[in-house]
Amino acid sequence: MSDEHFIDVLIRGIHALSRACGTLAALCLASACTVVCQMVVMRYVLGASTIWQNEFVTFAIVAATLLGSPYVLLTKGHVNVDLLPHYLAPAAKRWLALFASTLGWLACATLTWTGWQYFYEAWDAGWVTSSLWAPPLWIPLLPLPVGLGILTLQYTADIFCLASRREMPFGPPVTTDDAP
Amino acid sequence: MSPLSIGILIGVTTILVLATGIPVAFGLAIVAMGFLVIFDGFFSLGFVGELFFSGLADFTLVSIPMFIAMGAAVASSPAGGDLYGALDRWLNRVPAGLAISNIAACAVFAALSGSSPATCAAIGKMGIPEMRKRGYPDGLATGSIAAGGTLGILIPPSVTMIVYGISTGTSIGRLFIAGVLPGLMLTLMFIAWSMVYATRSGSLMTRDRRIFSLREKLELAPRVLPFLLLVAGILFVLYGGVATPSEAAGVGAMMCFILIAVIYRVWQPRRIWKILKSSTRESVMIMMIIGAAALFSYTLSSLFVTQSIAEWIAALEVNRWVLLGAINIFLLVAGFFLPPVAVIVMTAPILLPLITQVGFDPYWFAVVLTINMEIGLITPPVGLNLYVINGIAPDVGLPKILAGALPFVLLMVVGILLLCVFPQIATWLPDLLMGAGN
Repeated sequence: MSDEHFIDVLIRGIHALSRACGTLAALCLASACTVVCQMVVMRYVLGASTIWQNEFVTFAIVAATLLGSPYVLLTKGHVNVDLLPHYLAPAAKRWLALFASTLGWLACATLTWTGWQYFYEAWDAGWVTSSLWAPPLWIPLLPLPVGLGILTLQYTADIFCLASRREMPFGPPVTTDDAP
Repeated sequence: MSPLSIGILIGVTTILVLATGIPVAFGLAIVAMGFLVIFDGFFSLGFVGELFFSGLADFTLVSIPMFIAMGAAVASSPAGGDLYGALDRWLNRVPAGLAISNIAACAVFAALSGSSPATCAAIGKMGIPEMRKRGYPDGLATGSIAAGGTLGILIPPSVTMIVYGISTGTSIGRLFIAGVLPGLMLTLMFIAWSMVYATRSGSLMTRDRRIFSLREKLELAPRVLPFLLLVAGILFVLYGGVATPSEAAGVGAMMCFILIAVIYRVWQPRRIWKILKSSTRESVMIMMIIGAAALFSYTLSSLFVTQSIAEWIAALEVNRWVLLGAINIFLLVAGFFLPPVAVIVMTAPILLPLITQVGFDPYWFAVVLTINMEIGLITPPVGLNLYVINGIAPDVGLPKILAGALPFVLLMVVGILLLCVFPQIATWLPDLLMGAGN
């Protein structure tokens, strides 16, 4: 039984990681909102020119999206068409869920891999963004392999939970109330 | 294989993959990448990471999470209830007054939140039990809220309009303005139907005899007006071209947080955090679909599907209205199954060239497309609003909710027809405010 215990600890760890990503994503969103307001004040009220804000805000939202996606997967917030599953018998439903999750996993894993390549190129070649601010490109690209990597990990845990009957197929969305 | 048959193959595969219940974003991504590998070889995956990233890294897209946060902030406060209460005090003696208050409150709240399910939930939570209490038929009580809620994506600011603007390269400010009159038109049509319904089944509804003094009527205004001024301000800066949509949305979101803190004392870190978390969830869901759609449309155009569909349709030389009819039916069916944002990102880049080629206005088309999507929100199998309503009033039951929504679906179809006959409903205001042409 200790074996199974280890797996459950691992799954809990992945869930915690996804939740932590969700927290980071929400912080990115909040920072983007704050910086947009700062930019508007600088530009329209003080008449000053703004250099880094546009790019910062754009990248913060990209980071929020990529880092937030494992959290959204965990809480079943990625919208899907659950018409067919709705009409299936439990066993068929489970197989369909496994099939759909495997396809989804494949998409996420491929994206992680190509995302990593893009990130690595930017890091290796020392690329900078094309703006006046010109920060190293690898910084905004980092959420690409990290966020999508954790998303793939979360998917793996989901598939395992489905296969080992720890979780019902096509469960209802989890509300944010019980999340930290 | 000709690009056209590849296109059909991609279409069928997409339907099959999405039918498995896979999240829409990942479904689109796997179809896009799968076809790239099959037709362009494995190496073509090399660009995918960059494509996905650049599909997301667009300053205009920042407006989406900002408007969502703005809507979530308003929705988490009692503003919806106050809005509805304020209207009821003016309209309680009119036939079907309560239903009218509800529809009007939905229209206003739609402007604040830009989201249809959020509008449904915010107004419905107060409105549906109250209507049922006062003897309104269940179908009218639930149907009017379900339909009123759909206005969320038409009346500006609207997230789906932003998505349309980004995927077609049209002006978001102009799209917003184009949605104003059609939104009002639908609101009035919904109201008119409710009054007809009420007078026909008259005695069922106990009319509220209370007479409110002017003071009582104005009592709630100070709490409601600031939000209305905020939306008016956002529209003003957008159509005036003073600020970009992202700037307007960011400031709008911040102002909303300040307003709910001042007016409703919603400032506690725990509650603000909850609003942030729920807006993050919704934004991530939409943004992932947008990123995946960037891959999807890249695949379509690199396999020459987009171009050959346009050429094929042009070669058919069908009457433009026949074409429009076919497109409408296609959109309606797509809207039955898919959320509005997904339909728009997948189809708008293909449809827009066709539409402009035969001389239709892209802003007018945005309105027609949006009303089609609204219908999808209150029709089975995935009418999001129906499920929200079902959550609020589970004892009514989905079949009755559906039957109640049906007249409103027909009204929307009439709305689309009216827009076809009088395109000025959508184009007149943007022409007036921003000048003719695009």
